[in-house]
Amino acid sequence: MTEFVNVLAVGLLLGGIYSLVSVGLNLIFGVIRVVNFAQGEFVMLGMYGAFAAKFALGLDPYLAVVVVVPALFVLGAAIYWFVLRPLQGESMMQVFATFGLLMVLQNVVLAVTHGMTYSVNSVLSTMSVSIGPVQIGLVRLIVLVAATAVTIALGWYLKASLRGKAIRAVAQDRKAALLMGIDVERTYTISFGIGTALAGLAGCLLSPLYSISPQIGINFIMPAFAVVVLGGLGSVGGAYAGGIIVGMTEAIAGFYLDPALKHAILFMVFIVALLVRPAGLFGHAGAEEVGLREQS
Amino acid sequence: MTPTRRQFSGLSAAALFGTVTRVSAQGTPIKIGAVNPYSGGMAQYGDEVTRGFELAVDWINVQGGVIGRRVEIVRGNATSAQEGIAAVEQLVGRDKVDLLTGTYVTAISNAASESALNYNKLYWETNALARDLTDRGLPNYARSGPSSNEFAKRSVEGALEVVAAKLGKVPKDLKIWMEHEDSAYGTSIMKEQERLFKEAGVTPGIGSHSARAIDVTDSILRAKNANPDLWMSTAYVTDTNLLLRAARDQGFKPPAIMLLGVGDTVETLEALGKEFLEGILLVSYPRPDVNPKFGPGAADYLKAYRAKYNRDPIAPQSMSAYVGIKILYEAIKIAGSVEYEKVIKAAATLDKPLGTYEAGYGVKFDAKMQNSRALPIVAQWQSGVVKAVFPKEAASEGVTVVNLPRA
Repeated sequence: MTEFVNVLAVGLLLGGIYSLVSVGLNLIFGVIRVVNFAQGEFVMLGMYGAFAAKFALGLDPYLAVVVVVPALFVLGAAIYWFVLRPLQGESMMQVFATFGLLMVLQNVVLAVTHGMTYSVNSVLSTMSVSIGPVQIGLVRLIVLVAATAVTIALGWYLKASLRGKAIRAVAQDRKAALLMGIDVERTYTISFGIGTALAGLAGCLLSPLYSISPQIGINFIMPAFAVVVLGGLGSVGGAYAGGIIVGMTEAIAGFYLDPALKHAILFMVFIVALLVRPAGLFGHAGAEEVGLREQS
Repeated sequence: MTPTRRQFSGLSAAALFGTVTRVSAQGTPIKIGAVNPYSGGMAQYGDEVTRGFELAVDWINVQGGVIGRRVEIVRGNATSAQEGIAAVEQLVGRDKVDLLTGTYVTAISNAASESALNYNKLYWETNALARDLTDRGLPNYARSGPSSNEFAKRSVEGALEVVAAKLGKVPKDLKIWMEHEDSAYGTSIMKEQERLFKEAGVTPGIGSHSARAIDVTDSILRAKNANPDLWMSTAYVTDTNLLLRAARDQGFKPPAIMLLGVGDTVETLEALGKEFLEGILLVSYPRPDVNPKFGPGAADYLKAYRAKYNRDPIAPQSMSAYVGIKILYEAIKIAGSVEYEKVIKAAATLDKPLGTYEAGYGVKFDAKMQNSRALPIVAQWQSGVVKAVFPKEAASEGVTVVNLPRA
């Protein structure tokens, strides 16, 4: 029983990582309807940002959030404005553009770092907490708490704030939102900025867990796609729930079957879930089409 | 007359190697195409291997070159098998190289050497590991450095001779868990380890993981459940660091840990810290800190490296590359040519005992042209520094195994 509880805890904590990485991806998809292949690279940039903040300013990665998250917001807004906005109405071209961004960001970082991996440790890196028989690394627990807090905060922002309502309105019907006087371009820019900033937040919080390499972003993006599709395209809560489900599936399959098989098991569950519920567990019917549907 | 940069570099190397003889060499230079990844994620190790080649070139040129010809290195960038083929085509077609060498990555070596055969060029391998490379029996291919089988063999020796003794156990009673990344690299080493352990009467537990996994805690929990005396891992840098972090978080503290091929660089030191790493064993290429009787000239190699690159080697692969090219020179001298048939035939006649070269290597090629006297060593993290500890002859004076069982 202890063993099973431990595996569940591992799955829950892994789910926190997936949720945190996926929530920004899902926001961008839900509002702008772009499948952002570069989201993993934004996480990677967040990690390097935490490293740079430690190296240059001596900031702990948790404090680096104050610098990195706004910087990533500005970067995301600029990328939307200069790269994706000119491709408005060309959904496939926007997707290809994000893939191009992935390659550009990865290779620029490769050129700068020469492929060297870096580590950034926090004062909390070596701490762990014991809850009954389960031992949990504090850094992972912080990620889970942050993922939960971000989901709640983003859900509240979208529901209660005027800007959040505008984002939801644009997500539901761009033309109607435009007729209601909402500045659609500004809303898109802010949404992409928030999605990128959330990736930066994930990068900072994950940096004490991983050795940072230019290729690390791509390791996150495949499971993140599974998370958002499983949870429901465009659903903030769905990204959170999808992350937990994916984390649990991986941990249980990895421990009880074979770690080498866990991704195969995960994507089998993913395919079955899609067959049963194409919009994802928390998505709205038809949402699965919007990424490829021309916007009015 | 102001010396050119190349002349200055040659003179510096001559002074450091202490063997100034003659600096003139007649005829066109021998051009060696060095196929390695010089961009992308593996670039730092591709560069490091090539630094070993460059030092070997400096060493021979101050002696007048080989068969009366200076030697030059021409780099060919390859980050994948396909690029390996293109690099060979470019090196042979455009740069007119006489022979090729490499390679940090097995897959690149595999493709590039076949491409080299199409041009009737020698492919002299110094660093790629997979045993299959020599098992192909390619007529233009020889490997001067150790293969994956030698890494597996040394790790098993280290387990049965060093770890068992330190833990006060009969070797066959050792409980061992072997973790490996699940590509051909990790799997091939694991299979050879398993075979050797079974020969010794030990049945190890085996776990695998993807090198790109976001989380490997499940692998650590499986190993922890087995409660091994020795946990061994064959993986890449990032997943090795992730495994060690997960072990730390989960309170998994086996009495002995042994890492194969990686874990001996500053990347792992920065990730885990010297306190955690203290006592972790490493199966690695011989390092410049080996005992001078084991690897004569290793200290001079380190001096030359520092003088040329203004820093310490980032990984031990470069010294193995350096030695590999020195063995190549000897084969070329006997052959009197750079034609692959003649060089391979000459190399097959070389017979030098262990302890001839800086890395402690000797030279005796087997029927598949694998140097059977190129062996890795077992090293250990000690106070934030990696030190050779096994075989005993490799350890510097006063260096012994520490912190085993791990505190």
